[in-house]
Amino acid sequence: MSVRWQSLIVGLACALAGCGGDGSQMRFVENSTLAKPVHRKARVVVTKQLEEHFGTPLNSVAWLKLPVKYGRAEGKVTAIEDQTVTVELNAESADLTGFDAADFAGTELLLTSGANQGKTVTLVTFDGKKKTFEMAASDVVPAVNDQFVAGGNVLRHGRKLYARHCQHCHGISGDGDGPTAKYLNPRPRDYRQGKFKFTSTAGPAGKATRDDLRRIVGQGIPGTYMPAFVPMLKDGEMTAIIEYVRWLALRGEVEWQLLGQFKEDYAADRAKKEAKEPVDQAKSAVDQAKLAIKEIDETIKANTDESKKAELDGSKKEAKAALAAAEKELDKAKSQMSAKETEAEKQLDTQLKEFEKAGLAELLEEVTGDLADKWNAVEEEGALIIPEMARVPDSAESRKNGKELFFGKVANCVNCHGLAGKGNGAQTEEVGKNLRTGELYPAPGLYDDWDQPIKPRDLTRGIYRGGRRPIDLYRRLTQGIKGTPMPGAPKTLKPEQIWDLVNYVLSIPFDPSTPKAAPAHSVVGQSGEKGHAN
Amino acid sequence: MRKFWCGFFIFWPIAAVVYSAVSPQFNWWFPGPSVTELGQRIDNLFYLILIIVTAVFIGTQVALGYVLWRASHSKAERAWFTHGSHNLEVIWSVVPSVILLFLALYQMDVWALFRVQSFFPKEALNAPVAEVTARQFEWRIRYPGLDEHGVPKKLHLKPQPDDLYTVNDLHVPIGRPVMINLRSDDVQHSFFLPHLRIKQDAVPGQIIPIWFKPERQGNFDLACAELCGWGHYKMRAQLIVEREVEFQAYLQKLRADQNYDGHATPSAVAKKDE
Ligand SMILES: [Cu+2]
Repeated sequence: MSVRWQSLIVGLACALAGCGGDGSQMRFVENSTLAKPVHRKARVVVTKQLEEHFGTPLNSVAWLKLPVKYGRAEGKVTAIEDQTVTVELNAESADLTGFDAADFAGTELLLTSGANQGKTVTLVTFDGKKKTFEMAASDVVPAVNDQFVAGGNVLRHGRKLYARHCQHCHGISGDGDGPTAKYLNPRPRDYRQGKFKFTSTAGPAGKATRDDLRRIVGQGIPGTYMPAFVPMLKDGEMTAIIEYVRWLALRGEVEWQLLGQFKEDYAADRAKKEAKEPVDQAKSAVDQAKLAIKEIDETIKANTDESKKAELDGSKKEAKAALAAAEKELDKAKSQMSAKETEAEKQLDTQLKEFEKAGLAELLEEVTGDLADKWNAVEEEGALIIPEMARVPDSAESRKNGKELFFGKVANCVNCHGLAGKGNGAQTEEVGKNLRTGELYPAPGLYDDWDQPIKPRDLTRGIYRGGRRPIDLYRRLTQGIKGTPMPGAPKTLKPEQIWDLVNYVLSIPFDPSTPKAAPAHSVVGQSGEKGHAN
Repeated sequence: MRKFWCGFFIFWPIAAVVYSAVSPQFNWWFPGPSVTELGQRIDNLFYLILIIVTAVFIGTQVALGYVLWRASHSKAERAWFTHGSHNLEVIWSVVPSVILLFLALYQMDVWALFRVQSFFPKEALNAPVAEVTARQFEWRIRYPGLDEHGVPKKLHLKPQPDDLYTVNDLHVPIGRPVMINLRSDDVQHSFFLPHLRIKQDAVPGQIIPIWFKPERQGNFDLACAELCGWGHYKMRAQLIVEREVEFQAYLQKLRADQNYDGHATPSAVAKKDE
């Protein structure tokens, strides 16, 4: 697709009831954990970029560089009469059908060729049969044969549905921190890392496919508070919500990347650090001078040779002078510190401004390009994890093999899932290290990429969050669960061995040797899982 | 002013009666005739009560209207006061009691059929089709596994390895009594099938059987009728009544889906050691 233009605005008019005032409650919030170590000026730059490319919740921007199906329509103007623009849509952009004419109120039509290239007109309605747009009065008048882009209805529709069904848990920004979130365990997903746990795609970095999201939204996640939305949501509604969630995830990821980049170059304490540097240097010079005097003193004390005394006294004098000079230098450095800090702040500001002018666009290009590649890659044929062989028939022997693997050194499931598969393995008693911050976790046990305590699945319950089909378990076993300590099986395991493990895991709830009564074992706040097998 | 109040009190009962009378035409009434015969009988009970209260309502309103009208027309005639009539009191106590007693006795067989297990059709009672578990905020459904002929096995109270699972999508065959076991995973919910006139609370810790004999194919709403939390409205599911063959085919498809291993033909899942 040609991306000469950047984006089109997909306003969500506040005409609906329940959207009172200026909508100030509806704001995207900053990823504060990430933003904290970043300089406030750099944070402003990030916020500005996000607002430019994503808009606000009520005035979303369909940034065309993102791998989101906004419901875009492309075509050319064939006639124009007063405010009515008759158009011809390109063959492949038939996705305007199925939307109410009213959905177009307030959206923009972006002209991509002709005299008004890059300009937009605001639309009032769209007549699907006559293929005409009604546009609001504007200085910009499209001409016949002008190319255009319009639409974004999927995003609008998704926004409304998300607000109604998802937002109270997953939050306006998709940060998993809506008003009802704090009552839930496990916590609702924070999309902003672009990580979704249960996917059918490879590796820890594999994004979720649209079908993965559809499955989760449609079927829910048993054992959690994510309910099933089918049949309440119809097909088109599901599509809209999924695209909106992708859009939110991408927004979070762009924010993540930008803040990550700025943390290196524009740290919050950069100016202070720079200003303190001469002081630190002077301080160490003073320390060294003091040390030198001390050494000379010791030499003098130990000295019995009269002839050397004069020489030593001389060097002591010299050392004292050096100390005085160093102390003077330190005083000077201290007095200049605040000026230096101001200077450093100024320098940072200039550098940031320059970067905004020169490097930022490139960085964004790189970030979005990379994200688009990743999200698009999983939609391609062959991205799905399909076992090399059909399931090994579920026999006693296969289960026995699986059990051996479960307890074996290679797969080592027992380490986390425990001897009885109850999710209380040795690893859950150990204090782990947060690989992102390098700090130890506050309490023993496992943690996920969102820094939430997480308990290995209790396999005796027969509740399978990512689905109970053999293929689901195969994928969990081979690819791990994204964002969690559940790793993918080592590559040395053969498909039939994975199937043996699947067969064993599926048999655990019915294994008479499994102790039935659950021990009152508790890892921080893991009381939320309820229910019998399902 | 007297005429106004006279008209005011006559207008509202008339408006209420007219409103109720035209309601069915505008779909402000029941969601169509009941899908079950028992539901039809429940409707009949409802109509019986409705007719009785309508007669009483119209009678009292006409009396009230008459009194108001007469008083508004004559200034000379004065109201008279009474401090009780033993006979009247006996009448208005005994007559409603008789009506209530009649209703209580008259509805007993419907109630028994609906709620008392010993009156349930034996074929339904002995072979529940599914277990429906309400939870915040969805309906999780468990069917028994299928035998080698594709016929559903017996549904056990405890989950079995070959049970079939689905969510928010309850399929039942048409034309024979079916029973489901209702449970709750967390709080109190209510299993509500408006088209079948069934409403039954799901109570944590209890297994409550519900039977019905659907007589019409179609896709009907299954909703939660007990405010169970912030996501209460999300508990919207569907009941699909279909022909026996379709039902069996549905279960077989469910089995094939549940056993999907990534290869076109679901592998044979032989449970050799059970
Ligand atoms: Cu409920």
